[in-house]
Amino acid sequence: MKLRSRLPHPGNVTALAIAALVAGSFIALATVDGGKPALFSIGPYLIRVLAFSVIQAGLSTILSLALGVALALALARRRFFGRDVVLSLLSITMVMPTIVAVFAVLAVYGRSGWLAEALGALGWNGSFTIFGYPGILIAHVFLNAPFVARITLDGLDLVPAEQWRLAASLGFTPAQTFRHLDWPVLRAELAGLAGLVFLMCFKSFAIVLALGGGPSRATLEVAIYEALKIDLDFGRAAWLALIQLAICLFMMLVLDWAFARPPATHTMRAQVRRPDEANRRLKIIDALILVGGGLFIAPLALSVLRGLRNIFDVVDADLLQAFATSAAIATAAALVACGLALSLASAARRRMISRSRRLAAVYDFLPNSLLAVPPFALTAGLFLMIRPFVDPAMAGLILLPLINGLAALPFAYRYIAPRLMTTEERYGRLAASLGMTGLTKLRIVDWPVLRRPLVASFALAMALSFGDFGVIALFGGAELRTLPYLLYERLGSYRLDEAAAVGLIIVLAAFLLAHVSGRMSHAAD
Amino acid sequence: MLRRLLLACLSLCFATGIAHAQAKPTLTVYTYGSFAGKYGPGKTIKERFEATCSCELVWVTAEDAGSLVGRLRLEGETTKADVVVGLDMNLAAEAKALGVFAPHGADVKDLSLPIRWADDTFIPFDWGYLAFVYDSTKLANPPKSLKELVENPNGPKVVLQDPRTSAPGLGFLLWMRQVYGDKADDAWAQLKPRVVTFTKGWSEAYGLFMKGEADMVMSYTTSPAYHVVAEKKDQYKAAAFSEGHYLHVELAGATRTTKQPELARTFMVFVLSEPFQSAMPEGNWMMPAKTPQAGLPGAFKDLVQPSKALLFTPEEVQQNRRAFLDGWLNAAAR
Repeated sequence: MKLRSRLPHPGNVTALAIAALVAGSFIALATVDGGKPALFSIGPYLIRVLAFSVIQAGLSTILSLALGVALALALARRRFFGRDVVLSLLSITMVMPTIVAVFAVLAVYGRSGWLAEALGALGWNGSFTIFGYPGILIAHVFLNAPFVARITLDGLDLVPAEQWRLAASLGFTPAQTFRHLDWPVLRAELAGLAGLVFLMCFKSFAIVLALGGGPSRATLEVAIYEALKIDLDFGRAAWLALIQLAICLFMMLVLDWAFARPPATHTMRAQVRRPDEANRRLKIIDALILVGGGLFIAPLALSVLRGLRNIFDVVDADLLQAFATSAAIATAAALVACGLALSLASAARRRMISRSRRLAAVYDFLPNSLLAVPPFALTAGLFLMIRPFVDPAMAGLILLPLINGLAALPFAYRYIAPRLMTTEERYGRLAASLGMTGLTKLRIVDWPVLRRPLVASFALAMALSFGDFGVIALFGGAELRTLPYLLYERLGSYRLDEAAAVGLIIVLAAFLLAHVSGRMSHAAD
Repeated sequence: MLRRLLLACLSLCFATGIAHAQAKPTLTVYTYGSFAGKYGPGKTIKERFEATCSCELVWVTAEDAGSLVGRLRLEGETTKADVVVGLDMNLAAEAKALGVFAPHGADVKDLSLPIRWADDTFIPFDWGYLAFVYDSTKLANPPKSLKELVENPNGPKVVLQDPRTSAPGLGFLLWMRQVYGDKADDAWAQLKPRVVTFTKGWSEAYGLFMKGEADMVMSYTTSPAYHVVAEKKDQYKAAAFSEGHYLHVELAGATRTTKQPELARTFMVFVLSEPFQSAMPEGNWMMPAKTPQAGLPGAFKDLVQPSKALLFTPEEVQQNRRAFLDGWLNAAAR
């Protein structure tokens, strides 16, 4: 017993290791030129880029949250045929490779897209352009709102059955239901979700350039990419990355302060009829939301099916190998993500129990702040760090799962941390009175509750890794060809149709994983 | 079940890894993704070179020329690359400054390039001119010069690549400088209203054009040959501009750090030989650096022949890129 208490908690080790990895890669990157100070100044260009990044990310976040939360509430209140499939579809948009999303937006809203065709058929002769804010916002809301809906809905489903029975017996009006049952869930989820979406949009890069319409519509990530790949000024890249990290951390602090996380109250889950289901006005509102949201999301998602025409042209040994590679990397990345999320969440829980909320918040923060680190800079920095010890040919094999795992960690954490807190609320005191700690507690107390969210986050992390292209751009290779890599390779050889087919395969894989993940996270526990 | 699948995956990975570790000497060649991809010339070149060298050629890829240089920079002396195929003129000065390349020692006299080649580090393996590509069924009267494109307020809409992130994007920035000199920024301001967007890379821009978002796209004079040969479509044309076209030359170099300098040198000589060069036109859709004996494929004979090749030296690019970019940013952001 004594020995065990002296061992550091795995969560602390994880947190320190992550911080050390990130800090180490920054230092490696900043000092690669023999430590000479990097040429760097905050000029008007940088200010402009920063302002644009913040504004577009802010707008994208607000719109994504608005649509996402509205959809989640409407979906929570309604049961209809095919609802399961709709829920799985919600999770695929955010793992789409960016170029697939860009082409989807253009297929619907472009100069010769479906909307223009439909308007033309109705006799409208004008022209419109979506390049600029409209294009960027459409793409970002399309990618993120469904994900927001999905996570929020999971949260709403966790409201204990006892509370619903109580609400029904007290005869809550829809407004009271929202105030006392839905709002606490939303308040708990919104800060983290807003942070996630803001970060994703703040870092968005290929979409912003492709749909932005001009060089002033560029994000900080463009400047980082430029410094890394065109100027080869790694020092500047490191400093820019640090600025990005600082801004994103500030944003998350503000959000955290604005939406304090109430303590978890989850007890028993069961499918219960909500008392506000029968309200007629809500029925109309929900129908409007579902139809409106469907009209926005469905055409964009359906346009991906264009790849179907060429799907048999792309199935060959190359594709199967790329699929296997993607699957292997995704599996490893998901293991990394879930392992880290589990140890961080348990450390956060320990701090919560010992009433040091501030420290618990630090653990809550860490996964999200990883999203603020530019993957390209992190990869380059990590590579420089491991270069002395590892054969560079093997570096990709180590870095790909690690970086993809770190990128998926915030999402895995969102699934795992609240459930771990739930087990504490339910069985913590009992376990403590029995003197259960460590692995024993994990096995007997936590595992039954955690199994489903773990599988769910595992599937989500895999899906995210499936769609990721960022790191492979630098460390691809004869052996390391993933599906997104294949997609860009085909695009580079003028094969747009085949690229669309590969894109469809990626999305289908993500859909299957999301379906598994959805089944798991919705099952009662 | 999941566990078994995982095991199968892992053992597959190991098996392929072991299969690669053969006794024959291995030549590791870095290149960009589409070169070694299914439709690129990589497979042909590998077969043809291995037939003569009793060695194994392994392609290792990065996304594009910029990533190749970035990767070399990261790997430094520890790089596994024996040869790098796929750098370009605009990155040549930066690549040279890395200090990892050795003199090529190949004969570069009788090349079919529009310019005289004198560099002793890199050899050109293919080339092409930048050009605006358009669909002749939709755009009947394309501009005849860059000035006409820039100065006609009712001219066609174009999609370009961002010069901060893309090679052809940077190429067009330099083209504008060649034609307009110090007035280039004003020209950018004039052109800007008709630029649909500046994409991250060539693929996005070409995709946007093919989806009908723009009338013209910045690409290469050789692009129409792809549509003729692979798709049997002849409506895609490159617009000939009277001021001349900016030249894009792709380069190969052998590293100083290679453990097999002999084999690397053999490959560098091979690059300019018939078996390699004949794979360029319809493999990489670029002009060969040394025209094969049999001549060019039919589709390449009908391509636009610019009157003049415009080009900055790699050193000029290195010195002025920042200033050119800043000028462009200010003008195009106006």
